[in-house]
Amino acid sequence: MKAYTITRDNLGAWLDALARDYTLIAPVREEETVSLFKPVRGFAEINLGYTNSTVSPKGWLFPQTEEMFFFSTGGGQITLADAQTPGPAVLFGLRPCDIKGILALDPVFNGAYQDCYYQKRRQDTILVGLSCTRVERHCFCTSMGGGPTDGGGADLLLTEMDDGYGIEVLTPRGEELVNRYQQYFDADRENRVIPAREELGKKLAGQFTRNVDTTGVKEFLDQHFELPYWGELARRCLGCGICTYICPTCHCFDIFDQSPDGELGVRSRCWDSCMFSHFTRMAGGHNPRPTQKERVRNRFLHKLKYHRDRYNLDGCVGCGRCVTRCPVNIDIRQIIADLQEVARHD
Amino acid sequence: MKIQENLRETARKLLADGEASLVIGYAPGSEVSRVVPAFISREDEVDRLVWNPLCINNLAKYLLDYRHEPGKVAVVVKGCDSRAINRLLQDNQITREKVIILGIPCPGLINPDLVAARLDPGAQITVAAVSEQDFSLQTEEETFTFTRDEALLKKCRDCEQHTPVIADFMLGEEIPPNDPADPFVAVKTLEELPVEERSAYWDKQFSRCLRCYACRNVCPACTCRECVFDQAEPCWVAKANNLSENTAFHLIRAFHVAGRCVDCGECDRVCPVNIPLSLLNRKILKDIKDLFNVPTPGTSLEELPPLGAFTKSDPDEFM
Ligand code: SF4
Ligand code: SF4
Ligand code: SF4
Ligand code: SF4
Ligand code: SF4
Repeated sequence: MKAYTITRDNLGAWLDALARDYTLIAPVREEETVSLFKPVRGFAEINLGYTNSTVSPKGWLFPQTEEMFFFSTGGGQITLADAQTPGPAVLFGLRPCDIKGILALDPVFNGAYQDCYYQKRRQDTILVGLSCTRVERHCFCTSMGGGPTDGGGADLLLTEMDDGYGIEVLTPRGEELVNRYQQYFDADRENRVIPAREELGKKLAGQFTRNVDTTGVKEFLDQHFELPYWGELARRCLGCGICTYICPTCHCFDIFDQSPDGELGVRSRCWDSCMFSHFTRMAGGHNPRPTQKERVRNRFLHKLKYHRDRYNLDGCVGCGRCVTRCPVNIDIRQIIADLQEVARHD
Repeated sequence: MKIQENLRETARKLLADGEASLVIGYAPGSEVSRVVPAFISREDEVDRLVWNPLCINNLAKYLLDYRHEPGKVAVVVKGCDSRAINRLLQDNQITREKVIILGIPCPGLINPDLVAARLDPGAQITVAAVSEQDFSLQTEEETFTFTRDEALLKKCRDCEQHTPVIADFMLGEEIPPNDPADPFVAVKTLEELPVEERSAYWDKQFSRCLRCYACRNVCPACTCRECVFDQAEPCWVAKANNLSENTAFHLIRAFHVAGRCVDCGECDRVCPVNIPLSLLNRKILKDIKDLFNVPTPGTSLEELPPLGAFTKSDPDEFM
């Protein structure tokens, strides 16, 4: 596939143009230590120096709250009206792990079951990846089959170079986008872009503070559903939604109606979390996951086993977000290591 | 290090004598800058317990998970956390006879980010010492020194009680209150802003709230069996994440913990998107102190929370 280069000045101009022509979603620095993906009006609002956003960018394709349709029940009739969809968008500056996160969501919403809401947003959104330039202390993407410059799944991949950025075209849709704004790009005549990215990848590969070995973990979990380990781990878990809400691959949701007068209303869906006690509570009060032990086990089985059973994909892309933010240091890297240990003593 | 030894010895004895069935304390975490809440029920696990300037979690709330168990549970508390014990006792959430309080006079904690920035994440702290001027953390390889000025945790700068206000065993020497910084400086600065600016400030904060409820789940003042925010019927606050519902969430929570928030700072610490919750809760704390002239909730077991106490002489006719 083709590659181009773009100067820093032109990158700014290109992003301003993208913000005019599309809904542009890009990383924004909110506070000292918080960066989030948000719609922006132009380059000036974007922070490309971020390492990993606090909350994953999945929320653009699978919003925390998404209106599905409006209803009215006036005059004995039920009438439905579609909710608005945002239209063409560019999700810009995705780190490789988050692109993989989207690839992990695809078969859930866009596979055997077609979720029209996700599908529409996914179709309308061009993904522009951005190679990492730093490895954060909790990153472990290389242990989960990814890599800091491995942008597969995006339409375009940007990589920072000495004198600007290199751009690799990964899909025909990416090609179209570059063609539309070709005044900003230069052809990569000396074939510098791919070697520069590979070089960067090699340099970063040595910077991971902890490598995780998942060998045999899934096979062990296939055979062992009940483990005292889960009960021990769950004792300290707060049952909050942090780990699932910030994770690029978690995708549980709940559907609810809001109607001030019972006649006009909206049906929405909203992120939910398997770590919440209410998540599996049934109408009659029965809860098949009655304690935090079953909930914690579910989350990690989902990451390390169920997603692979269903889609042959890891349910964790090694972004390290839950490791950074869990208030009680429930660290999936440690859990993988512990499970190896439990398996050895089995 | 004396404290850590005392802690292990006391825990060992409590478990050996059958006095306690469980000891809740701290153990090393998955990396050098973190500790984990540890639940020790066997004597041979006691040596996992640590005490060092990274022991930040308030462990008091875990007592709720064991309130129906037959045995007694021992829990490690610092000064700030100890107010939460009084809080839970006052609300009849726990019974005094069933808890054993292991109090640690705490000279202040270190900002874990600084530790993470300087120490190898895989290292183990072997000796930790805190002096008037600095923190020193010794690993197998090296000793690292951080000055208190650079490294003291924000909440420890205005610590009211270094020594726990309630304890069955005091595991170290009392540390007198040492002229803390004014905890309300940030509140006052915000109060002085024009109302539109204050409103814009909170809108910005609340709009990024994930409604993950970590702040609630960690809070020793949040103990309702069924929280309003989990109720679907009636629906007090909708599940929808938007500024209006998020604001409702924050204001309701702030008022629910008003007069019961012990100012332990945990909500502020756990928030994944760094919403300055202590600012919100301290605004109410400040108003309550101004109005009722009371100490920080949980400071004494006898002093009932002003919004929960009742006297016939209350001048308000409504009562
Ligand atoms: S693992 Fe951590 S982040 Fe996840 S629910 Fe438990 S306490 Fe919260
Ligand atoms: S489980 Fe944790 S490390 Fe893995 S993808 Fe989710 S947030 Fe990232
Ligand atoms: S912890 Fe932070 S993000 Fe989570 S509900 Fe509380 S304020 Fe919101
Ligand atoms: S509101 Fe925050 S500071 Fe107050 S008691 Fe609860 S967790 Fe602690
Ligand atoms: S905010 Fe109120 S209702 Fe919710 S858990 Fe805390 S005390 Fe209970």
